[in-house]
Amino acid sequence: MAAGVAAWLPFARAAAIGWMPVASTPMPIPPQEKTKGKDGLIILNVSGTKFQTWRTTLERYPDTLLGSTERDFFFHEETNEYFFDRDPDIFRHILNFFRTGKLHYPRQECIAAYDEELAFFGIIPEIIGDCCYEEYKDRRRENAERLQDDEEMDMSNDAPPVNLTYREFLWRAFENPHTSTLALVFYYVTGFFIAISVMANVVETVPCGVLPNRSKEMSCGDRYALAFFCLDTACVMIFTVEYLLRLIAAPSRYKFMKSVMSVIDVVAIMPYYIGLVMTDNDQVSGAFVTLRVFRVFRIFKFSRHSAGLRILGYTLKSCASELGFLLFSLTMAIIIFATVMFYAEKGSTASKFTSIPAAFWYTIVTMTTLGYGDMVPKTIVGKVFGSICSLSGVLVIALPVPVIVSNFSRIYHQSQRAEKRRAQRKARLGKIRAAKIRGTNVYMRYKQNGLLINSLEEASKEAGRALVAKAPSPPFESQHNHLLHCLEKTTNHEFVDEQTFQANCMEISVMNKSGSRASSLSSSPHGLSSCCSRRHRKKSSFSLPSTNNQELSTIQIRERPVANSRSSLNAKLDETVPLKCDKPYITPSMVSLSAPVVTSSDGHGSITTAAYSQSNIVRVSAL
Amino acid sequence: MSVRWETEGLQTVGIVCLVIMFLKLMHLLGLIDITETESSDSDLELSTVRHQPEGLDQLQAQTKFTRKELQSLYRGFKNECPSGLVDEETFKTIYSQFFPQGDATTYAHFLFNAFDIDRNGSIRFEDFVIGLSVLLRGSVTEKLNWAFNLYDINKDGYITKEEMLAIMKSIYDMMGRYTYPCVRDEAPSEHVDKFFQKMDKNRDGVVTIEEFIETCQKDENIMNSMQLFENVI
Repeated sequence: MAAGVAAWLPFARAAAIGWMPVASTPMPIPPQEKTKGKDGLIILNVSGTKFQTWRTTLERYPDTLLGSTERDFFFHEETNEYFFDRDPDIFRHILNFFRTGKLHYPRQECIAAYDEELAFFGIIPEIIGDCCYEEYKDRRRENAERLQDDEEMDMSNDAPPVNLTYREFLWRAFENPHTSTLALVFYYVTGFFIAISVMANVVETVPCGVLPNRSKEMSCGDRYALAFFCLDTACVMIFTVEYLLRLIAAPSRYKFMKSVMSVIDVVAIMPYYIGLVMTDNDQVSGAFVTLRVFRVFRIFKFSRHSAGLRILGYTLKSCASELGFLLFSLTMAIIIFATVMFYAEKGSTASKFTSIPAAFWYTIVTMTTLGYGDMVPKTIVGKVFGSICSLSGVLVIALPVPVIVSNFSRIYHQSQRAEKRRAQRKARLGKIRAAKIRGTNVYMRYKQNGLLINSLEEASKEAGRALVAKAPSPPFESQHNHLLHCLEKTTNHEFVDEQTFQANCMEISVMNKSGSRASSLSSSPHGLSSCCSRRHRKKSSFSLPSTNNQELSTIQIRERPVANSRSSLNAKLDETVPLKCDKPYITPSMVSLSAPVVTSSDGHGSITTAAYSQSNIVRVSAL
Repeated sequence: MSVRWETEGLQTVGIVCLVIMFLKLMHLLGLIDITETESSDSDLELSTVRHQPEGLDQLQAQTKFTRKELQSLYRGFKNECPSGLVDEETFKTIYSQFFPQGDATTYAHFLFNAFDIDRNGSIRFEDFVIGLSVLLRGSVTEKLNWAFNLYDINKDGYITKEEMLAIMKSIYDMMGRYTYPCVRDEAPSEHVDKFFQKMDKNRDGVVTIEEFIETCQKDENIMNSMQLFENVI
């Protein structure tokens, strides 16, 4: 892009005179300078910090906000400057981009704030210079991971909506054991049986003492063969049942069967079944013994129960290249040193270094500083090279290890952070909810004051004013309250707070569609009961709560022409006040907006449904 | 016998290895100096050459630019070359940015030589601005003189066919590969032949300054194109 050297464009154009005498065809007409832009200073006032630059500097990049006519929207006539209500510290970097053509990313700024500023001023982040680009990308990736973690947590902490299919319920129970007590019990039981199974495998090889009719010592496995067999059968039964249940519940069976954990499951239980069908054939029993080794894989099933194991596995996977390099360099070193040692020790008598492969063992033992001492060099040369070998072994192994360690540490800390955030989240959400309820209460109070004013208008004006002798609400709040009031008028329903609604719903369900009303603030009992009952009957998949809300709101709207038993005052207002507010079909969008903000409501089963429907209605008012 | 040779050979190798490692260790610790590879501290040659231009008034007297124009020119110049001097590499880099598709370095080289009046390898702001003054505010004769100076690579007062061919090739290089129609290899030399046919009146194989100016003044296209970049600043 030649914009960086835009100052030299006149020079380049002037130098074009050199082409003129040799030109084959006539030249095109140069573009007309429409208005010779006065190369004046522009004052940019960013939240009080004044920046000044030449007009032409900004116009180098005409597709940004500052370089195009878009900046005219921010022109402030009284002070004859451009005013931006943004962060001046970040703006400094943006202006430097215009001046030098290079965009830098300051390390101490928050990546999200920086991105926002860039987006506001119309600069694409890919322009960031090489000096800062890596840092920027790293921070961005970190942030994205963190947001993704939060989202996943959101999704997993969602109150399980009613009526999952049994399959989905089962899968949920398996993946998140904390969701139901049954799942938790199952989780611990399987963990217990894994431990039992592994311990049985270990203990059955311990020598258990001699039986009178045998000469040599028997292992426990042979002595109590039946007991161990029963134990093994029980464990395998449990594992098989678990595996089959998981297979049934998995949303994508093929993907499940490919996953590592399922392979481990299969490998853990296969030896038992193969052993059942195998006869006591001598030739095959050798292979059978090998299969029994695979039973130890059951210990890997613990990785479902332990996050640390999973992290370890993940680390090893992510450090694959470092491990590969370690392996490769070790192999090279082993071959070199084994060859040297072999030839060095060839001369000595009764040398253990019979061949180069035999020397491999010595090299490995020496390089890893084990030093068993079963093979030692006897000649001086051998000893010299042996010492060089052990020194270099320490170095070669010590080099890639810190990389692996740092990887593990990073991933481990990340998971720790995730745990901490999960814990903090509950507290944070509690506070957010409290703030929302406060907001609702503001509106409630406003309404009460309003009603009071209206009802006491005829009575005595002074008394009414005394009752509402509070500080006047700020214009934003009063307009917001007016807006909510309009909405109420539109739908002919009213906002209520959580407790009132709960009370109403209980009452209504008790009274079962009787025509009486609970309080002056309740909307049509017809509507309420229908909405409560409809919630139960709804067949919702848990990823589309918004459609439920839409149906809910349409129910509310449909109820409108029905004569509802409200206070006569409100009814009067309804007829007289023309609807200046939004049309009814705006309502669904407003309602569904609050739907994604589903807090983690605890409680399961039927309580959830009531709480969910309640919380839905509450959030309409909380807006 | 061979076994003994092998072990003795290995012993020697072992001892040699040890000695070399010892020497390296000493060198690393700085106790001795292996004088072959003396790594001098020539990481970055700090360019201590700097140049400040003559005063604004003097430049105003020497050129036909106004004060404001000189100020604007200097700001752009200093932005790219903070030291006040443009060397050939920087010049080529800047000029190449305007022609991303082709290779503008050869033509930039010729331009550099045309601007660098005192042939010291770097263009000062004065040279730059004087050259621009001629190109943008000079008379037609001055401009033609400047163009002749550009084409005359060895500055001997004659444009030979070889010189012209070099210039032509550099201009075609700036076009790059993706042109329509494709640039054939003979295109520059054909163009040079046409040029000489037009310019070389006495058919002596070279073009002198008088022939050049005379022919150009008769050619209407060339005269029109000379006025093209008057309002560039």
